[in-house]
Amino acid sequence: MALLVAENLSVGYQTQKGYLHAVEGVSFSLGAGKSLGFVGESGCGKTTLGMALMRLLPPNGMIRQGRIFFDGEDLLQKTDEEMRQVRWKKIAMIFQAAMNALNPVHRIIDQIAEAILTHDPLCDKEEAYEQVRGLFQLVGLPQDRMRDYPHQYSGGMKQRAVIAMALACQPKLIIADEPTTALDVLVQDQILQETKNLQKEFGISIIYISHDISIVADVCHDVGIMYAGQLVEYGAREEIFDSPRHPYTKALLSSYPTLTGEKNRLVPIPGETPNLIHPPLGCRFCDRCSRGSVSCRTETPVWIEISPRHKTLCD
Amino acid sequence: MMTVTTVNTDIELSERFHWIGRLLEGWSIYRKSLLGKIGLTLLLLFALMALCSFIPPWADPMYHPMTGVDPEISYSVGPSMRHWLGTDFMGRDILSQLLAGAKIAFMVGVSAAFMSVFLGTAIGMIAGYTGRFTDSLLMRLADMIMVMPALLVLLMLAALFGQLSIWFIVLFIALFRWPGVSRVIRAQTLSLKHRPFIEAARVAGASHLRIIFRHIMPNVLPLSFLYMTFQVTSAIIIEAALAFLGFGDPGTVSWGMMLQWVWKTGHMFRAPYWLLPPGICISLITLSFYMLGRAMDEVLDPRLRKEGETD
Amino acid sequence: MIDKGKEIILELEHIVKRYRTRGSFFGTHGKDVIALDQVSIRVVRGEIFGLVGESGSGKTTAGRLIVRLEEPEEGKIYLDSNEIAALKGNALREFRRKVQMIFQDPYQSLNPQFSVFDAVSEPLIIHKIGNAEARKDSVWQAMKSVGLSPPDDFAHRYPHQLSGGQRQRVAIARAMILKPEFVVADEPTSMLDASISAQIFNILLEMREKLHVSFLFITHSLAAARYLCDRIAVIYRGNLVEMGPGDEVIQNPKHPYTQALIDALPKFGYSGEVKRYQTLLRAERETSEYVGCPFLGRCKVADETKCSRKKPPLKRLGDSHSVACFYTEPEVKTGSGSKE
Repeated sequence: MALLVAENLSVGYQTQKGYLHAVEGVSFSLGAGKSLGFVGESGCGKTTLGMALMRLLPPNGMIRQGRIFFDGEDLLQKTDEEMRQVRWKKIAMIFQAAMNALNPVHRIIDQIAEAILTHDPLCDKEEAYEQVRGLFQLVGLPQDRMRDYPHQYSGGMKQRAVIAMALACQPKLIIADEPTTALDVLVQDQILQETKNLQKEFGISIIYISHDISIVADVCHDVGIMYAGQLVEYGAREEIFDSPRHPYTKALLSSYPTLTGEKNRLVPIPGETPNLIHPPLGCRFCDRCSRGSVSCRTETPVWIEISPRHKTLCD
Repeated sequence: MMTVTTVNTDIELSERFHWIGRLLEGWSIYRKSLLGKIGLTLLLLFALMALCSFIPPWADPMYHPMTGVDPEISYSVGPSMRHWLGTDFMGRDILSQLLAGAKIAFMVGVSAAFMSVFLGTAIGMIAGYTGRFTDSLLMRLADMIMVMPALLVLLMLAALFGQLSIWFIVLFIALFRWPGVSRVIRAQTLSLKHRPFIEAARVAGASHLRIIFRHIMPNVLPLSFLYMTFQVTSAIIIEAALAFLGFGDPGTVSWGMMLQWVWKTGHMFRAPYWLLPPGICISLITLSFYMLGRAMDEVLDPRLRKEGETD
Repeated sequence: MIDKGKEIILELEHIVKRYRTRGSFFGTHGKDVIALDQVSIRVVRGEIFGLVGESGSGKTTAGRLIVRLEEPEEGKIYLDSNEIAALKGNALREFRRKVQMIFQDPYQSLNPQFSVFDAVSEPLIIHKIGNAEARKDSVWQAMKSVGLSPPDDFAHRYPHQLSGGQRQRVAIARAMILKPEFVVADEPTSMLDASISAQIFNILLEMREKLHVSFLFITHSLAAARYLCDRIAVIYRGNLVEMGPGDEVIQNPKHPYTQALIDALPKFGYSGEVKRYQTLLRAERETSEYVGCPFLGRCKVADETKCSRKKPPLKRLGDSHSVACFYTEPEVKTGSGSKE
């Protein structure tokens, strides 16, 4: 039933100063046609998680533990060649600042066509161009701009082009890492709404990774809050925002200024994120938590199920 | 509770201490580079040679590189117990000449490099920061110098003034090599000029001079320092080339001079023990400075450092 | 617009700032880009004034003109009723003591070769204030006031050893150490995480309380502006489109652009999918540059004939709320109709 299932995933990097535990014991499942958002601040491991799902970690990164099931198959058992087949055709990725990843010396139409041709050798150039035309219409780009170069596009248009490229091979899953940072507020909102529509129309599953809770708040079915490499709260969007349980989730929500409602004094979270080379035993949020107790520091926190669609690492 | 004065010195100490801390951090990165280690070892060897250059003549005046006279040998002869590398066409000891040459190489190399980098950095910073007319003027001057055929000019000067002293050669090298450095420093200054921390200094009220010396210079010096190692390389080669061609200072014994004597006295193919040592030394010392520079590149630019790899 | 009794610390009067782009190699003339078009703002002493806009709106340019990193082509800027463009020499140095700036990028606004102590004491050294002891005291105090405590721990650290939030605090300490009268804060939190941003906001509020500094807070976030600012001005492509008390502008936005900004902000899972104002076109329409209303290209409620001919002036509605639109309506969106 579920399209993507991760079980107890742990990922880390070998650095000069030691082994960095970037992601610890993350488990989640994503159904077909649903969207899941991972929210967390810098250093929480969300980008690492995204890259690990695609097995695109840098040379010093490794998946130490856990399993990833996509469409019933264990991705970690696949060879490099098999993974290449999976990438883009079944899982597409939109990286951070993807609009800067467009090759400045090639036309947009050629770049998207190339993605199509690489993954479908039976297709010929004319067919590919036809498909690009269709994609442009889908993402709302004008047909007469297909032969332009990236520098002639605005930021919003480039992002749309990148989305078109991701959709080119009709993947089942798109992993979008900070898809709309660097875009203006209005364009960002437009693109998110349009992506939501595309998702509904084609039944694509999307994983959004963002430090900005507002992006995730409006477009995802399920939300996972990450802190210091761990998933601390996970559940349906409404339940998380209506009744957050984990102290970090509550603290995170209260550090965003709102447009409506009471103008309460923003409560920042004191302290700094923990060192992930020597992560603390017990709860990683303990140092900054207003409710920390002795047991928090020493015992490994366990999942508490609040409802079938909402679980948290602390109550 | 510490008194104010103690805390003051504490700050100064921790600043100096931190400077040392950064040096140590740089050293640990440097150490990891194979090139760096080889280069440094070679350089230490040559430095040792230079330091020991006073030993042979002190031990026995016949070993003096220029004026040494061996009562028994007055022509070129191969290595023996008496002369470990043999003798030149006048019976002078080659090993002591080699050691003296090391001394000259360091002197010339480092002085010329220092002077050219000093000039190049100062001019590059001023050109980059002031811009417009001054910038154009200075850079056109740099262009003209780069285009001038150094050797021809030197020939003319030799013709005018007779033989040139070693310090004149050092000055000459510096004057012809600063443009290359200034271009790089100017580019770096231009990119720094618009960085927010420079603008912050302007908003705080810093004068132009203060910005150049206190804000831009420290950020440009690592690059200058790096360039110095490359400049030493070229300075040594230029001096050797000049000496070999006969424009050197006849009163000094440099490796280039040794090569000139080998050639002039027709011993090129007859006395490998005389020809090879200076040639190899020139190659090796330039190579080692180059390796030093490459390793320092990794220290100075964090992006070039490799993280630990996984198996 | 402002109570007559309150003192005005900073005034921008009909500021125009143009940039000329260089022509191409084949000799075509450079184009003029108008970054700010007849912008006038008055900031009252002790208030935090928010300038809200997206990229390209000219908000950063306005900040840079105020601290004299650049000069306007037309118009005048007054600090405490003195025109700043004419200042030179000692008077300019005095000005630099009174007006400071906090930059957007904490990773670039500190000199990587300066320790925290060096960076924060630099303004004191430039203005030759105090001796080494007095300076050290001032630096300690400044560091404590931004939460870099204990100062001993931080004084000898270098920027690369600090987090983004810590660096921004150093930048604030540096800006405040001269006890300025006016500070331009150019998107000080846009590169920081939310929880860190909250810390910075609270520090700015404290500074206003303790030092009676006036701020121009430049941001792209209306929510942040609502939290911090007494009054807000919304700027679009170099033109002020709406200005008024913070709460008023946000609860009762009159300009279609402001309304679009509010529509675009997150509701955190509350309220349905329907946008409240819906003033934004999906695809831009063709407009001629610099003639007519700047928002015409994206405005759903615009009338193509009326709005393309002239640029709507900033008109005062009621008490202290000003809008630049030909169709400002009272409360409910009914038809068109201009108001006084």
